Amino acid sequence: MARLEKPEDLENLRDSLREENRGFRLRIIIPNGTCCRASGSQAVIDAVKAEISKQGLEKEVFLHITGCHGFCQQEPNILFEPGNIAYCRVKPGDAKEIVEKTVGNGEVIERLLYVDPLTGERIRREGDIPFYKAQDRQLLTNNKLVDPLAIEDYIAIGGYGALAKVLEGMGPEEVIREIKASGLRGRGGAGFPTGRKWEEAREAPGDEKYVICNADEGDPGAYMDRCLLESNPHAILEGMMIGAWAAGAGMGYVYVRHEYPLAVQHTRNAVMQARALGLLGENILGSNFSFDIEIARGGGAFVCGESTALMASVEGKVGEPRPKDIHTVKEGLWNKPTVLNNVETWANVPSIILNGSDWFASKGTRGSKGTKIFALTGKIRNTGLVEVAMGTTIHDIVHNIGGASDGRAVKAIQTGGPSGGCLPASQFGLPVDFDSLYDAGSMMGSGGMVVMDEKTCMVDVAKYFLKFLQDESCGKCIPCRVGVSRMLEIVTDITEGRGTRAQIDLLKELAETIGQTALCGLGKTAPNPVLSTLRYFGDEYLAHVDEKRCPAGVCRPLIRYAIDPEKCNGCGVCVRSCPHEAISGQKKEVHAIDPEECRKCGICAAECKFDAIMVN
Amino acid sequence: MQQQVTLTIDGSTIRAARGTSVLEAALGYGICIPHLCHVPGLKDTGACRLCIVENVQNGRSRVTTSCTLTVQEGMVIRTNTENIKRLRRNIAELIVAEAPNSRAVQDMAVRCGVREVRYPFRRENCIQCGRCVRYCTEMWRANALGFIGRGKDRKVDFAFGNRRDICKKCQSCVIYCPMSVTPCGGPMKPGEEKLCGKCESVELMAENAYGACVHCELGKGFQCSRHAM
Amino acid sequence: MATANLDSVLEGRRSQPSQLIEVLQDIQDLYGYVSEDAMEQVAGGLGIPLMEVYRVACFYKAFSLQPRGKNVITVCTGTACHVRGSDLLIDQVRGQLQIEPGETTRDGLFTFECVNCLGACALGPIVVHNDAYNPHVTPGKLRKMIDKAEEEGKKEAAYGKTGKA
Repeated sequence: MARLEKPEDLENLRDSLREENRGFRLRIIIPNGTCCRASGSQAVIDAVKAEISKQGLEKEVFLHITGCHGFCQQEPNILFEPGNIAYCRVKPGDAKEIVEKTVGNGEVIERLLYVDPLTGERIRREGDIPFYKAQDRQLLTNNKLVDPLAIEDYIAIGGYGALAKVLEGMGPEEVIREIKASGLRGRGGAGFPTGRKWEEAREAPGDEKYVICNADEGDPGAYMDRCLLESNPHAILEGMMIGAWAAGAGMGYVYVRHEYPLAVQHTRNAVMQARALGLLGENILGSNFSFDIEIARGGGAFVCGESTALMASVEGKVGEPRPKDIHTVKEGLWNKPTVLNNVETWANVPSIILNGSDWFASKGTRGSKGTKIFALTGKIRNTGLVEVAMGTTIHDIVHNIGGASDGRAVKAIQTGGPSGGCLPASQFGLPVDFDSLYDAGSMMGSGGMVVMDEKTCMVDVAKYFLKFLQDESCGKCIPCRVGVSRMLEIVTDITEGRGTRAQIDLLKELAETIGQTALCGLGKTAPNPVLSTLRYFGDEYLAHVDEKRCPAGVCRPLIRYAIDPEKCNGCGVCVRSCPHEAISGQKKEVHAIDPEECRKCGICAAECKFDAIMVN
Repeated sequence: MQQQVTLTIDGSTIRAARGTSVLEAALGYGICIPHLCHVPGLKDTGACRLCIVENVQNGRSRVTTSCTLTVQEGMVIRTNTENIKRLRRNIAELIVAEAPNSRAVQDMAVRCGVREVRYPFRRENCIQCGRCVRYCTEMWRANALGFIGRGKDRKVDFAFGNRRDICKKCQSCVIYCPMSVTPCGGPMKPGEEKLCGKCESVELMAENAYGACVHCELGKGFQCSRHAM
Repeated sequence: MATANLDSVLEGRRSQPSQLIEVLQDIQDLYGYVSEDAMEQVAGGLGIPLMEVYRVACFYKAFSLQPRGKNVITVCTGTACHVRGSDLLIDQVRGQLQIEPGETTRDGLFTFECVNCLGACALGPIVVHNDAYNPHVTPGKLRKMIDKAEEEGKKEAAYGKTGKA
């Protein structure tokens, strides 16, 4: 393809691409993101591809390899358009039947359809699956329309139209006004108004300015940024271009975790394609706007999600945050004014420009506009990526979309990763937006939602996050490095049966000190998991301290494993599975656990098919 | 001529050169803000967090370190509110529990109001204030010492742990280390986490390390009653 | 170490300190670890003090300063994997291989690592064996995975010996 010299070139290209796509009677869409691949999507693709060429259907049907659609639980899946027929958990062996029946005669294979676990009903159309039906998919919907490696697909669905619109007739001030009017707030967690950030950077003195896309998604339990970058990287690049135009930046960086190799690869490819078309580089679309983007790989440090640490890392330095008494919009990367936004924030920009701020502001609540993607995971039936309008209640997300827990009652939900907190089921009526969750002692964060049930010990969860933060703290300031390790010391005492009530008070005091005095935002929010579990699950702490008992049966020093002689049938699975050789017994006879050797890892309980291992 | 700004610290109106930090401005007027990692002439990093103050803006006060905060016209700073005293005491308690046998740290903790330490002692001997590292890097540009690793495993070390050959043997790291004051063999024992505060090593510290005074650069801060509790 | 390769990594990036992390990433990909020798050359090539190179190599988890084993077993310990039992997997590896996270077995067959989140949370717990992602791993599955890799490793070693003889 030739370089696009003016906006009309882009329009002409779009028209010709759309004409090309009309040639196919059927699109077979197979998602192939990181999680899809883990479930074996590549083998399915190969099998379907081979089958199509075997039956000579290449001219009629278009095999479209896309990014993840979000319903990770049911992968690998296949979607047929038109028709919206969705098959779930497809195996390579199904390929022949699929191509013969569904592709050949339009026949639906009943056994591959999604089964609603509540009603047992088979659902034909993807849009009718409860998981998708209850969502409001604005960003994620494009994932099934584009091949992340093909800029043509993005252009065909209207991509880079917002950039053309901006360059043709919207001045930077007008763009900023539009973004401000839309009420878009940063999706990375802090929720700073995006338009204001751009304006401050624009007004900051200096000619050399930068924009950065923060794709260092370190929050465990959140992966919407990975999905967006992997599935539709051009939307993010387009957002960055518009932001750069508004803020007056000439250079941009995408800082992406090295743990996301596919996202790195797709983003790199997207940048090269955009350069080849002249959408990046000098005089974009014949305007006086010149801008380029580079990829910076993160090195595996959670703290680099903090803006100043991230900028240090882009500069090739150790990712230690610096005090933010001067904001990064004035002195950021190389001490130049810098706009840093999260992946999802950038991805929202093109549609706001194309559809107008009113369209965006019509969704969501008073303080939080638009839609937000959440990663719904943990002990819940439907796991995956969920996009809903801001202000949807936790209950709606967990029960209507997530389908509640399989078996045990849902006890709590963890939102916002290590900076957020745990909310109990009694708080599930809360609308999910920036302000309500913050008031309840948690935060929306980047959008991770981990569901927990009765078998999750909340003190253990607090310990888990403290351990995470102790390892991931940069170690620069005393409250975060020493304070968090002291908090972990206390919580470890509690989970090992040495805790006292005085220690719980000390824990609270220490948490408050860290929250007020730590150097960076991550340090200041580090005590949140402890504070929120103390606030809502104080009784669990007291059970550990007063009764030396772990109600969920998780904290090892406080529990004991034994075999229920009624249920054990002597199959020997536990004997083989115990890595510490603590279980003995002859075949067909009741086995026994040697309490001396048992390290209480619980592997036997997980492996036993007859529920014969008891915890008390 | 240097530009001056006017600000209020603890109710006193003071003037300071534009660009100086609140901590330096305060110390210049004899207003004691306890500090540990600050060394005159080196870049401030805000690592020890002892010099926290409240910065009052539009009726709302924000806790921040005074060493990294530059003076601004009309700024209102409070260095000694109840909240600040409590937070500072908690931080000092964390620090002294890391290095219970350092006399300089003990003195600092006593002056911040710590009497009893609620954490079991760790004998780290290094609290990572970074004085040595910054002196080595900024003053000598030797880059022999540096912070290695992160989180709880972070430590001060040579490159590869053994590249002493890069060191210029200036000894500044020793001079500036708050641990190099003769340790107290006294009452700091595990199980009896108490600070007696009887042996404030006033002269010793002032002689050994300029700026190591954790209280007041005038050296008279020890008699100053501002932070006594 | 092949110096020619290291030169190719440094090519076009000399005297650009901001390229440090990218250069170390490429070295890690190329050799599987970052050696002291490589760090010295990078320091010279980019014009950065050795200390700064060493600090960056130690700070970021992506870099390993020791050669890694033939099989790298990475257990994801993200929140979603944690509540679904990734602790059991860590115990399984510990018990079976007798090594702690970050260590390599003496025979050089296995390196055991933990990662804080791989972003495949819906499929937790996740274990990555070399580059292959394994979803919904149980201790039993993991045991078989390690057994299989061990067997293959032993076979190869035996073959290597007879081949040499």
